Amino acid sequence: MDNYINNFFFTYLPHIALAIFFFGLVTRLILINKSVQAESTQFLADKKVKLGSNLFHIGIIFVFFGHLTLFIPEWLYHLVMTTETKRIIALSMGSFFGIMAIVGMLILVSRRFSDPRIKANSSIQDYLIIFLLLVEALIGLTAVAETATGPIEKYAALSEWAQAVVTFQPDAGAIIAGHSIQYKLHIVTGLFIFMIFPYTKLMHILVYPFVYIFRSGYQLVRKRN
Amino acid sequence: MNIRAQIAMVMNLDKCIGCHTCSVTCKNVWTSRKGVEYVWFNNVETKPGIGYPDEWENQDRWKGGWRLDKDRLTPKMGSKLGIMKNLFASPTMPTIDDYYEPFTFNYSILHKGSKFKTPPTARPHSILTGKVMEKIEKTPNWEDDLGGEFKNRSKETNFKDVPKDIYGEFENSFIMYLPRICEHCLNPTCVAVCPSGAIYKREEDGIVLIDQDRCRGWRQCVSGCPYKKVYFNWETKKSEKCTFCYPRIEAGESTICSESCVGRIRYIGMILYDADKIKEVAATADEKDLYEEHLNMFLDPNDPEVIAEARKQGIPNNVLQAAAAAPIYKMAIDWKVAFPLHPEYRTLPMVWYVPPLSPIQSAVNSGTIGMNGILPDVDDMRISHKYLANLFTAGDEKPIKEALKRMLAMRAYMRSKTVDKVINTEVLEGTGLTPEQTEKMYHLMAIANYDDRFVIPTSHREEAKNVYQHQSSGGYPDGDSNDTEKFKNLLGGI
Repeated sequence: MDNYINNFFFTYLPHIALAIFFFGLVTRLILINKSVQAESTQFLADKKVKLGSNLFHIGIIFVFFGHLTLFIPEWLYHLVMTTETKRIIALSMGSFFGIMAIVGMLILVSRRFSDPRIKANSSIQDYLIIFLLLVEALIGLTAVAETATGPIEKYAALSEWAQAVVTFQPDAGAIIAGHSIQYKLHIVTGLFIFMIFPYTKLMHILVYPFVYIFRSGYQLVRKRN
Repeated sequence: MNIRAQIAMVMNLDKCIGCHTCSVTCKNVWTSRKGVEYVWFNNVETKPGIGYPDEWENQDRWKGGWRLDKDRLTPKMGSKLGIMKNLFASPTMPTIDDYYEPFTFNYSILHKGSKFKTPPTARPHSILTGKVMEKIEKTPNWEDDLGGEFKNRSKETNFKDVPKDIYGEFENSFIMYLPRICEHCLNPTCVAVCPSGAIYKREEDGIVLIDQDRCRGWRQCVSGCPYKKVYFNWETKKSEKCTFCYPRIEAGESTICSESCVGRIRYIGMILYDADKIKEVAATADEKDLYEEHLNMFLDPNDPEVIAEARKQGIPNNVLQAAAAAPIYKMAIDWKVAFPLHPEYRTLPMVWYVPPLSPIQSAVNSGTIGMNGILPDVDDMRISHKYLANLFTAGDEKPIKEALKRMLAMRAYMRSKTVDKVINTEVLEGTGLTPEQTEKMYHLMAIANYDDRFVIPTSHREEAKNVYQHQSSGGYPDGDSNDTEKFKNLLGGI
C-alpha cells in the first residue's frame, strides 16, 4: 500500500499536474487572455507593499530559478563543480532567498489581514494563494535544513527524481520513496500549486513584459485595422 | 515630412465660470462604475490650488513626464530597465488617498430604518470598505472657489519665482479655473512607460487610448503621466483614461464635456503636424523654447503644398477640410492666444488654453487705472503673469503678456465699434492684429457659435476593416476573427 501511495504521488501525480497545468495555461491564454494581469492592490494601500512585495518577488524568483537546477544532468554540472559544491550553493542561496521571500510574504499577509480596505476587497483566491505559497516556502525551508544535515546521496536523488519524471521513467517515484516527509510535502504542495496555477492570479508571471526592453523607441502608434 | 492629423482642444479660460458641468456630464457618461468612483476624466480645478490628485504638478514628487539626459529624452521615472524593476511595487505611484476616498450616503436608512428618537441623518460610507466615515477629509474639488487656507493651496508649483505672500492677502487674492482632461500628447509618457504596449496613439486622429485587453495592470502609466490623467481602476485593476469621447468624435460630434459646456469655452478641431519633428522638439534644450518649437511643428492647413503632401500620404479629404476650418490653428498660431499646459513636461500636450484676463490691480490700489497708451496696462492685472507663464509657457512671460494684450485690444476695438459706433484702429497698434482679424477673433472667441467651435470630420470606419471579408456576415462576429490577435498577445507581445 505504501508503495502504491508513493507511486501515485511521485510517479503519476507529477504528470497529471503538468497535464492540467499546460491545458489550463493554453486555454486561459487563448480564451480569456485579457484576464491575465498583475492584480496589484498597491493603489488602495501602499504602506507595506513597497517592502513586502519587493522582498517576496525577488526572493521567490531566485528560489524558482534555483529549483530549475534540479533538471541539470549530473555529468553536465560535474564539468564545473562537484555535487557537494552544488549542494553548498543550493543551500546558501536557497535559505537566503527563501527567508527573504518568507519575510516578504509575512509582511503581505499581515497587510492582507489588517488593512480594512484590502480586507474588504480580498477574495478567497487571494487568501488561498498566499497561504499556499507561505506553507510551501516554510516546508521548503525545513527541507533545506534536512538537506544540510543529510547524506549527499539523498540530495543527488532529488535531481535524479525530477529528471526521471520529465523523461517519463515508469519508476520515478521509487527514487525518493525513502526521503523524509518534508520533501514529500513540499513536492505535493508544489504540484498542487502547479495544478491551480492557470486558474489563478499567479498567471501574471507569464505576462511579465520582457518585450518592453526590446521595444525600439518609446512611442506606439496604431493604424486602423 | 510625416504629416499626421491630431484632434485638439482649446479651452478659453477667460470665459470659464467653474460650474463643473463638464465634469458631471463626463462622470455620468464614462466613470459611474465601480472601481472608478474616484475618477474624473474631466475635472475643474480652482487655481491657485494644489489640484487633484494632490500636487499633481509637483514632478519632483511624482516623477511624471520626461527629463533631458545629455540631449536624450528619458521618462523622469527612469529608463526601460528601471521601469521593469519597479513592477513589483511602483515607487512613485499615487494611492487613492492622494485623490480621495470615494463615499456614498446611506439614504436608504431614511425610509427603511426604524423609528428615530432624533432627526435621522444619512451618514457618509466609504465605498472601499463599506464602513461609516466619521469625517470627509477630501473630495476631487476640495479647494473649490478658494476653499481652504492659502498656506496649503499655495504649495502648488506655479508660484515659482512669484512673490506669493502678497497673493495671500485678501485684497490681492485672485482666482481662476482650470478644467483639465487628458492632453492626448504628441509625445505621451504614459505610452512610453507602458511595458505591456497597451497604451497607444491612434494614427488617424492622435487620440491616446488604453487597450483594456492588453493592459496587464503594471500601473506605470499612472506614474508616467505628468498630468495624472491616467487612473487606476481598483476593481478591474487596470488603467483607464479620458478617451476624448472617441465614439462621438468618430461620428463627427464634439466630446461630452465640450457639448455640455455652458460657458462655450471649448473648441475642438483637427490640426496637422509633422510627426518627424516630435523627438527633436520634445528634446529642445531650453524648456522656455518648448512652446515656440511646439508651434513650429504645426503645418498650415491652407498651404497648397501641405495639402498636396498630406493627400499623398493618405490623409482623407474631409480631415484636410476640417483642419483648414478648425478653430485650433487660428487661436494657437494665427492669433497666438492659446497655450499648451506645462510644456516643460516635454510631452507636447494637445489641449491648449487661452489665459484668463483679470481685473486691473492698480485700480484697487490707487483708484486710477494704469494706462499703457489707450489700453489698460496688462502688467497691472490681478493674476501675476509669471504665474500664468509658469502654467502655460514654462515661465516665459512675453507670449502670455502679448496674448492678454491682444484680448484686451479686441475688447476695446469691439466696444468702440458697437457702443461708440467708431472703428478705432488705434487700440490695435502694437498687437499685430488687423481689424479683420480682430473681428474674426471676436466672432470665434466671444460669439463662439456651435459650428465655429466644433469642426470635427467624421471618421472613415470603412477603412477599419476589409469590408469584402465581412460580406454576408450581416455584421455578426464570425467567431474566429480575433484569433491572430489572441496569439499575438501571448507574453504581452508588442
